[in-house]
Amino acid sequence: MTDGRTAAEEPYVLQVENLETRFSTEHGWLRAVDNVSFNLPKGKTIGVVGESGSGKSVLSRTIMGLLPSNARVNDDAKVIFEGKDLRQMSEAELRHIRGPEIAMVFQDPMSSLNPVMKIGKQIAESQIVHLGLSKKDARNNAIELLREVGIPLPEKRVDEYPHQLSGGMRQRVAIAIALACQPKLLIADEPTTALDVTVQAEILDLLQREQQDRHMTMILITHDLGVVAGRTDYVGVMYAGQIVEQADTKDLFQNMRMRYTEALLNSIPRLEDEPHKRLETVGGRPPDLVSPPPGCRFAPRCQYADEKCTEDEPPFGVGAGLTGHSFACWHPIQPAGGTR
Amino acid sequence: MADTTSSGDIGGRKRRIKLGFGFWLPMSWVIFLFFCAATADFWPLPLPSEMHFLDQEMTPGHQSMAFINEEEVEFTFVLGTDNMGRDILARLIHGSRVSLMVGLVSPIIGLVIGGLLGMLAGYFRGRIEGIVVAVMDAVLAFPALVLLIALTFYLGPSLTTVTFSLGILTVPFFTRVARASTLTFAKREFVLAARAIGTSDFRIIVREILPNVFFPLLVYALLVTAALIIAEGVLGFLGLSVPPPTTSWGAMINDGRDYLEEAPHISLIPAAAMFLTVLSFNLLGDYIRSLGDPRESKL
Repeated sequence: MTDGRTAAEEPYVLQVENLETRFSTEHGWLRAVDNVSFNLPKGKTIGVVGESGSGKSVLSRTIMGLLPSNARVNDDAKVIFEGKDLRQMSEAELRHIRGPEIAMVFQDPMSSLNPVMKIGKQIAESQIVHLGLSKKDARNNAIELLREVGIPLPEKRVDEYPHQLSGGMRQRVAIAIALACQPKLLIADEPTTALDVTVQAEILDLLQREQQDRHMTMILITHDLGVVAGRTDYVGVMYAGQIVEQADTKDLFQNMRMRYTEALLNSIPRLEDEPHKRLETVGGRPPDLVSPPPGCRFAPRCQYADEKCTEDEPPFGVGAGLTGHSFACWHPIQPAGGTR
Repeated sequence: MADTTSSGDIGGRKRRIKLGFGFWLPMSWVIFLFFCAATADFWPLPLPSEMHFLDQEMTPGHQSMAFINEEEVEFTFVLGTDNMGRDILARLIHGSRVSLMVGLVSPIIGLVIGGLLGMLAGYFRGRIEGIVVAVMDAVLAFPALVLLIALTFYLGPSLTTVTFSLGILTVPFFTRVARASTLTFAKREFVLAARAIGTSDFRIIVREILPNVFFPLLVYALLVTAALIIAEGVLGFLGLSVPPPTTSWGAMINDGRDYLEEAPHISLIPAAAMFLTVLSFNLLGDYIRSLGDPRESKL
């Protein structure tokens, strides 16, 4: 995350440079991810926050190389994982990266598990493919993994089908699948969005614990600033395909600079609010990504926007200090007191 | 943990599928047919080709002399005799072999080839899909009867030819079913999740897509079986099915065509057998599909 330092000084697990993912649509090229760069140090967790449609999931799928066929990535984009550029790899080479090196947890465990395969087999699958384990060994490992992710009676559960498990349990299974080959980087794409509120914290705690125990690097994608608050080292805020603010998590919450981040934070209901208080929303809609407005993309929805905002695009990184707090805004919140 | 107590059956409480009357009635008829086809040579009946010129067009229950195991004995023609005095029961039992062979082997040919092509088309899309769909549309547009006559002409009329030709004709239908369900499953997240752990395309098709697509294909195969038994009957009626002396139900119905007024049983008995068989396969297909439905809704 921190800018200005080279890879030699700090071992980055993942370096993303100038990433631009476009989708071919009837109306033209839709820029889902637009000029995104960031570096991710080993063993850290980065939170990627943004509204629906801000390009968070496309970003993660671009990193994995799992884009649909109508997507194009610019040629000079770099996705450097442990020194190797994933963009230059063939599909066959990428297959050996996916699973043992980079793994992913998806949003909806109802659909990310195969309904007609026993969960034990689904966990064993990648170990058989990548590590060449025998079916028996892989099954025993699957039982261990199930126990590790907090599923009771794993010896019984291993032979059950996904529909016999609750949503939270299924997400635990999905996490076990992702962990099966000891990945170095785990991408969790809205892992709690489809779950019951009571289970969300448990799943996030589980992810955090596994990340620490296994010394994994993690990308936690969410639309909820509250989720990233206590659980990430860095936060990148995405809006309309761009990262508009990134900083240390602490720094971001103490010295929020970007108006969009502030609007996101204000839209979280708080306990101290009086009953029946109207929920704050970010007014308006995200911009059309086929032909985005000139200037700052958030300007049409920003109450502080003036003429400059609608004409010139604010450069990303203005005011970046030693902390590496970067943002793209002409009228940032003054750092003095922060927002709260 | 909150979510561990909420989910149901821990500890061996397995959901057992209870098969009702609607399953066992048609199933017992199909099992009986298989039994007949397997044991056709061992029944105490005259040969299906043995003609009795003194006992032509006899109604069921007619008693006369017949050769059984090369011995002439007193014999009751339980279902009567046809226009050439052949025992209808013997011919019915031997004819069931043709119907079952065509009805079961042909759909398997269609299921294997069509299922494979459909899955490839639905999974890889693009050019492969274009070619497969175009070829299948061409096969569908070609008049089936003309194709059958052509194949019979070149390969010679035999049970193998009929089975093979009808099998080829069902390929496009299986391709469509397989492609349609592959399209929906390939879009599901678990396929993406499988790719995200580095599974190869081949393994995804075999392990993730096939088990999901197989069930709808199987149900469809049972309905195709019913349709093919009728198709064989039509071919037999046109004289395009198995050549004599091998007997088939379609050919039997054709034999009785000219005697419908004086001896309707010659046509009606094989027609009834065909009716029951087709109905049974249709009922089985529907029943098995209804078993699958609640499972689908639970996903």
